This record gives sequence, structure tokens and C-alpha cells, in this order.
Amino acid sequence: MYKNEWVIYLFGGVIAALILLMSAFFLVKALRRAKELGISRAKIVKTVTSSAVFSIVPSVPIIIGIGIMMPWLGLAIPWIRLTVVGALQYELMAMQQATEAAGVTSYGAMTDTVIATAFTIMTVSILSGLIFNAVAYKKYQNKLSDLREKNPKLLNTVTGALLGGILSGLASYIIAGGIFNVKNTGGDNVAVSGAVTLITLAASAAIMLLCGILIKKLKWKWLESYALPITIVGALFTAYAVIPLF
Amino acid sequence: MKDRTAFNNELHKYGRVFTVIALVLICTVPVVFCIATGTAPNGKAMLGALTFTAGYWAIGLVEVVSYAPLLGAGGQYLAFITGNISNLKLPCAVNAQSINKTERGSEEEEIITTIAVAVSSIVTTLIIIVGLLPLGLFSESIVKVLAPVSPYVIPAIFGGLGVVLISMYFKLTVAPFAVCLVICVAAFALGVDIGQSTMIPIGMAVSIASAFIMYKRDKKKSLNNKGT
Repeated sequence: MYKNEWVIYLFGGVIAALILLMSAFFLVKALRRAKELGISRAKIVKTVTSSAVFSIVPSVPIIIGIGIMMPWLGLAIPWIRLTVVGALQYELMAMQQATEAAGVTSYGAMTDTVIATAFTIMTVSILSGLIFNAVAYKKYQNKLSDLREKNPKLLNTVTGALLGGILSGLASYIIAGGIFNVKNTGGDNVAVSGAVTLITLAASAAIMLLCGILIKKLKWKWLESYALPITIVGALFTAYAVIPLF
Repeated sequence: MKDRTAFNNELHKYGRVFTVIALVLICTVPVVFCIATGTAPNGKAMLGALTFTAGYWAIGLVEVVSYAPLLGAGGQYLAFITGNISNLKLPCAVNAQSINKTERGSEEEEIITTIAVAVSSIVTTLIIIVGLLPLGLFSESIVKVLAPVSPYVIPAIFGGLGVVLISMYFKLTVAPFAVCLVICVAAFALGVDIGQSTMIPIGMAVSIASAFIMYKRDKKKSLNNKGT
């Protein structure tokens, strides 16, 4: 696609290796600490298996995102952008903004300069979180620890409110977007049906409720670890089934 | 055994080292691209995207501050280096916390979260690497088959996760959800798409405000009860 693409692949390889190394490092640290704290092996196994199973399905759209960006930026750049720091919905939007700013609206018109521009804009735009963590996170975390010591009830309320806030922001956007039939969620040019969005959301909630009933009434404890992955797969199958109807 | 502060300080030390390495690496790649292709970014286009960049810096800062109490030290460093937080790492962490019924703010919760985020990062990185080869060979067919369902992954995650969170924090969730829904409906009715990434910080701000009001009210009530 562009000259010397292998160099970018090489960097992609180094970055992927760093991510694996760093994750393994923190995993080992956490496992050792878990042992010291006396957290049961059963809990650890449950956490590892459910997190691994959970991560499979949401990883697939990331690969699709790479596929969508590929005609514009080649394979190596989207791979890097979606392996480190980037997020699927953000990168698609950033690529669209960057190429539009460079005056390009179709991938046939992409040049090395436009790719360089898009890549730079996409990279610069996502640095704030990392810089905060490198410079100020330790101090911030210490303040949170002080709050936990002095007023655990307030910290509980704050963390609960933050989770509730994420849910409220996302769910309201999904529902309102579904009602108003928002056609496009980013630069991916994939047709989005409002009705399918709402049906998927409802199916996901219904399957989770059913899992909850099965866990409580039939005492299917094993289902706890897999309830969310099963819910996601079930809701996506429902979406697949109803897409042709809308 | 180290106390919690000493253990966290160790995590901060390594977390910062990895974060700086990641920062240097990801900033180097566009420079390397320019050298390898003998080109340079278009300055005018860069300036044109300045508003977008500033907006994402603001969102990034809101995210890093607000996700911190939910992810703990290890989870925070890992999640922000590996990305895909709201669509993958955070739901994965919340899932691990809820199935293990961890106590909010406890060290156990922090460790469980770190394990969940680390496992999720490894699995996702490997899946992406494995997916690159078929993607390079058959990208059009793969995208054609799977792309129609990809916009529905977020509703598929948050419908189920919503049920879990509402069952845990019903009182804290109702008011912000109603306010956010009104904001979204009003915006869409006016033809404005606020965007999912903007709605998350808005939701958090509304939620924190309403939780703070409830907290104050409960505190006042308990003081009044003690007084009588």
C-alpha cells in the first residue's frame, strides 16, 4: 500500500509484544498478591476463565474495525491503533475526521501525506489519558485512598454513581439513537437500524434477566461466570436474525 | 506481606515505566512512517482537526479521572495502555467484580479487577494477531459477513450489564438515566448527535451530582434521627 510498510509491521509487533509482556507482568503480580491476601483459587479461576471468555466476542468488532480502516490506512496502522490506547468507535471517527480535514472522502484518493496526517492526528488525540497516568495518577490514587480510609461510604457512593453514570449515558444514547433511528455511529459506513439497536438492547437485558433467574431459582452457580458472554452472543444472534426485517 | 500502600506504590512504579514506554513507542510510529515514506503530515489539515483533538483530550481526561476508582492501580495503567475501555475492559472488570461479589473499594476487588483487565488484554491482543492473517487475505468477505452486526455489540453488552448494574445500584441509576434520556431525546429531536463518547462523561457528571445530593440528604436524615 505504501513504501516500506514492513517497518510499521515491525513496530506493530514490538507494541503487541509489549502489551503481552506488560499484561503478563501485572497478571503475575496480581496473582501473587491474591495468594498473599488469601483469595481462594476458585475465585481466581472463575475470574480468569470468565474474563477470557467474555473478551472473545467484543474483540471481533475490533478486527472488523481494522478491516474497515484497511482500505484507507493499510493493515499495519489500524492494527497498531487498535492494539494500544485506541478504541474502536474512537479510531473510526478519528480516521474520518482526519481524512476529511485533509480533504479526502474516498479511500481511492489516499496518499502517503494523507495517511501521515491521519495517523498523526489519531495518535496525538488519544494521548491525554496516558500523560495523566504518567504524571498525576499516583497522587490522584492516593487522594482516593485517603477518601476510602476517612469516608468509605462516600467513596462507595462515588464509584456506584460513576458506574451508574456510564450506564445512564450509554443506555440513554442507545435508546434515543434507536428511537430516532440514527443511521451511522462513526466512519464505518455500516447501516445501523434504530429498531435493531433497540431489539438487541432488549434481547440482551432479557437474556441476562433469564440467566439471573436460572442462577437464583435453579442454583446454577456455574452460569454466573458465563452469563454476560452468553448474553452478548445471544443478543448478537438476535440482531443477526432481525437485520433482514428492517 | 507488604501493606496495601506499599504494594500499590510498586504497581505505580511499574505502571509509570510501562506507560512512558508505550507513550514513546506510539508517538514514534507516525514519525517512522513519515521517514519510511519520505512524507510529512499536512499542517493545514492538522490545524483543521484541532477542535477534534482538543475534544478528545478533554474526553480522555474525564475518562482517566472517572474510571480510576473503578479500575484500581493495576487495572488503570493496563486499561489505558491497551485501550478499548468502555467497550471491553470496563465491562469485563465489572463482570469479574459482580460474579465474585467483591466489596467496593476493597483490595480484593482491586486485585480481581487487575486480573480481569490483564487476561482481557492478553486475549484481545492474541485474537487481533490471529485475525490479521485472514483479514489480510480475505478482508472484503470477512467485513461483508460480520460488519452488519458490529454496530450492535455495544447494545448487546450494555443491555445485560445494565440489568446487573441496575440490580446493584437502582437508587443511584434511576435519576441520572432519566436526565440523560431527556438530554439525548432533546438533542436528537433538534437534529444534534451528541455522540456516545460525549454522553458517557455527561452521564457520569449527572450521576455524581445526583448521588451527592442523595448522600447529603441521607447524612442529614441520620443526623436528625440521632438528634431525636
